[in-house]
Order: sequence, then structure tokens, then C-alpha cells
Amino acid sequence: MLKILTIIGLLFLFGCNNNDIQTYRISKTTPSNQTPQQHPSHKATSSYAWDTPSSWIESAGHSMRLASFSVPTSVGDGDCSVIHLGGDGGGLVANINRWRGQIGLPAQSGQEINASAIKGSSKLGAYDMFVLINESKPETAMLASILPLQSGTLFIKLNFHSDVISEVQSDFKSFCSSFSSAGH
Amino acid sequence: MKRLISTLSNPKIFVYTISWMMVLVVLGTLAQRDMGLFDAQQKYFSSWIAWLGPIPTPGGRITMLLMFVNMMFFMLKPALWTWKKIGIIITHGGAILLLIGGGLTAWFSAEGTMIIEEGASSNYVVDSHLKELAIINTTPADYDQVTSVNRNQLFDNNSIHHEHLPFRLEIIEYYKNCKPHKRTSPVGGEYKGLAQNYALIRFDDEKEDNRNQPGITFKIIDAGESSNGIYSLVIGQSVPQTIHVNNSTYTLILRNQRTYLPFELELIDFKKVLHPGTGMAKSFSSDVNLIEDGISRNVLIQMNEPLRHRGYTFYQSSFSEAPGGDTTILSAVKNYGRLFPYISSLIMSLGLLMHMLVKLPKLLRTKSGRVA
Repeated sequence: MLKILTIIGLLFLFGCNNNDIQTYRISKTTPSNQTPQQHPSHKATSSYAWDTPSSWIESAGHSMRLASFSVPTSVGDGDCSVIHLGGDGGGLVANINRWRGQIGLPAQSGQEINASAIKGSSKLGAYDMFVLINESKPETAMLASILPLQSGTLFIKLNFHSDVISEVQSDFKSFCSSFSSAGH
Repeated sequence: MKRLISTLSNPKIFVYTISWMMVLVVLGTLAQRDMGLFDAQQKYFSSWIAWLGPIPTPGGRITMLLMFVNMMFFMLKPALWTWKKIGIIITHGGAILLLIGGGLTAWFSAEGTMIIEEGASSNYVVDSHLKELAIINTTPADYDQVTSVNRNQLFDNNSIHHEHLPFRLEIIEYYKNCKPHKRTSPVGGEYKGLAQNYALIRFDDEKEDNRNQPGITFKIIDAGESSNGIYSLVIGQSVPQTIHVNNSTYTLILRNQRTYLPFELELIDFKKVLHPGTGMAKSFSSDVNLIEDGISRNVLIQMNEPLRHRGYTFYQSSFSEAPGGDTTILSAVKNYGRLFPYISSLIMSLGLLMHMLVKLPKLLRTKSGRVA
């Protein structure tokens, strides 16, 4: 019986994978070093690049989005999306009023919307940022930036709970200002 | 020796192990409903010990190892080696080959994905399930020194040290599924990086493994006053943690386990063809350059026409479209035991056929005797 146990024990030992800690070298010129995961703070698609705030976590998103992020806050995660649409994507006033409608706010005139815009700038050009909060639905708050480009329009949107606007607004603005052309 | 062969070749071992495998199959099938396919596979089939609550029971690996040992010793029985038992010998040989193939798959197979943007290239496969803590010394000018700690070492209170690391890591907590939550009150100066502003909160495991977000909180020791402290990492974290120790820079990343390949694939073009007038895909294909030792050759990977190279098979699996360019997602599989089930099935069929032919005259005699 002892022999049997010894044989099974040896087989068990030889069968175990001892490579729990491995070391290897990768050349800095290999393509792996050029992938976004090696320099995740500076993320890029083939067309655009941006700096992601340190606490944001890239999420799966869906096919319409250039990028998606989960934005941790003290009352839960916000959802940030980056979408590129051709032309003006329906126009600034129409989009803002559509988003206002989604969170239960009444539509505004073009003049009112322009007056509420917070101006920002990035290497891709100037953008307008909007803070959309319905006090009766705090969980539907939205920060949105619209960045017109020659090739279309970038829409950057963050859905969150209005109680934590102080936690996310600064990061969101920095994120929008960090957009540049890929390779610049 | 005779006694050893007699004990280990006892057919009862085979009966017990095959019966226990049936029990494991039923338990695993039932368990996957609650714990997901990957976890059920790991718990019941890929483990040495399958814990049924607090009770340790033989897992799939040890059960099949016992079955393999039993069949090998059965083949050593001198009484077996007669022409009359040629069918039994061949059938058992086929079954042994099947188990060898299973062993090769269990120990040496690898499965993952390679994701390449148009115009870019990649030389590593990312495992779909297994995680690693990668500690990368980025100081050398022409290479990065990677120390990869795999999932087996990532558990609470484990201490990690290695000759390539000038510091120690003590894992405070490893989370299979967690979310970072902003701290509501300031913490002490020993908390650094993500851990300074965010606490990782454990969540229940998701049934689908890829929906879990693993995270880790650990303490760095012996790295000098400025780098010693408590750190947190989560999968998909936008900014990796960097520390400086003895004039060297180390980047720490929790990520899906990578396997680097001795070649790279460059995506030239991804093509999607739709059925006319519909949004339904007719075919996908990736036009890639396979670059090895500085030599490039063009290969087209498309549905049902994978690329096979150096033991890996790359299948066109998925894609992602973006205005700036498409990204191809290739499934990469390395399985040295791939052909074993086919070959062993043929051998076992042949063995059973021969056994039937050997027994046929006796069967016919018995039947005619009964009729008479």
C-alpha cells in the first residue's frame, strides 16, 4: 500500500505546475510595448488620443462608442461614453434638448443653451460642456461635451448621480481637454 | 512487483473511477447553472481535489490519473497478451491514448485571444480567464524585465518575493469581483496610488467569469520609505501603478495572463462582407502579415480557414468597428492533444471490432447449439 501511495504521490508532484512566478524579457521594440495597455493613461484609437483620469476604468461599451469608462464615485459608478458622429451629429441645440428630455428637463432655446455652455479647449479645438441636472431625478445627472471637428463631431457624455458632481466634474473637464489627434 | 501489478491493475479501480467521473459530470453540470461554466470546470474537472462543502473528494485530474495508472498496469498483466485478447489490448491502448491526450490538453494547452487594430501588430495572446500580477522593470534601455505572478499565488495573506524583485509584496486581499469606491474620509499616508482615494469593495461573483472585475490590495515592503505602502489594483485600471526602487522603475499591473509568442501578426486589413440588402454577416476575414525572424509573409485568416503556426491555431473570432479603423479579434488555441480523441476513437473502434470478430465463432456456436 505504501508503494502505491508513493507512486501516486510522485505522479502528483510531477504533474503539479510549479511555474507560479515566471520571469521573462520583452524587447521594448516589440509591438506589445506600443499597445495602449502598456501606457494606459494615454489611450488612443487610430484617430484620437486622450488621457484617462487615474480612477476611471475602461469598460466594454458597445459598437457605437469609441470608448467607454466606468467612473467610480462614492454613491456608485458613473458611465462615460465617447462617440464620434459624422457632420454635426444633429446639431448642438437638438442634442442638448434631446438629453434634457431624457432626464425630464424642458427644452431650451438656442440662446439659453449657448449661455449655459462652459467653454473648454483641447488640441482638437474648442468644445462646449454642459451640466444637466434634474433635482427631482438626481440619479440621472449628466455632464456632456460637444467637440466639433472637421471630420464630424465628438460627443463625450458622463451619466452620474448629482450628489457627487464635485467628485467627477474636474476629471471630466480634464478628460475632454486632453483629446488630441493620434500620434500628437 | 507482482503484487503491485495485481493491486494497481484491479478492474475495480476502473469501475470506481469511471463511476466517480459520472458523478462529477452530473455535479459539474448542475453546478454550472449557479457558478458559471468556467468555475464549474475548474472546481470539478480541472482540480485535484473537488470540495463538496467541507468534504474533500477526488477531483477530475486525480480520478483520471488513477484511471490511467490502472489501465497501464492492466496492460502489464502477462495473461492479457494472447491472440484471443487482441481486441481488448487494442481497445485499452486506445483508451490510454485518449487519457494521454487529455493530460496533454490539461497541462500544455493554452487558449486566449489576440486583438489587433488595423495597422498595428501584436505578439502575445491574452488568456480569457486567468489573471496575473505583472511587475515590470522598465529601467533597462532595450528590454522590459517582466515578473509574472499567476493566479495560484494571488490569495489573501500570501507573501511574494523573487530574486528579480528588490522588494516583497504581502497580499492583504485578493478580490475575484470588486468595485473601487471613493473613500469618504482621508486615510493614512501608508495608502498610496489608487488605494489613497478608493477602497475596493468585494462583490458576489458573477456567473459569467468575464463579467467579474478582479482586484488586489497589497503591501510593498523593503522598497524604501517613498515606495513602501499599501496599494490597490483592479483589472482594466486606466493608470498602472509605478514605484521607484534603487534607481529602477517598476510598473505593477493586474491583467489577464499573457503568453508571448516568438512571432507577431500585423493586421493589414479587416474585411466584413454582408449578405446583400441585409445587415447579416456573410464572411469576415483578416489580412495579416506573419512576421518571424524579420521575415514577413502575407496570410488571410477567415471563417473556417484558420492560421496554424508553431502549434497555435488562430481563428477569426470577432471584430470591433470604429470610425478610425477596425480591430480584429482572433481566438488563439494551442493544443498538442488535439488529434488524440480522433485517433484513439478509431483505435478503440478497431479494438472492439476485432474483439467481436474473435468472439464471433463462439457466439455463433452457442446460438446454433441453443437452436438445435
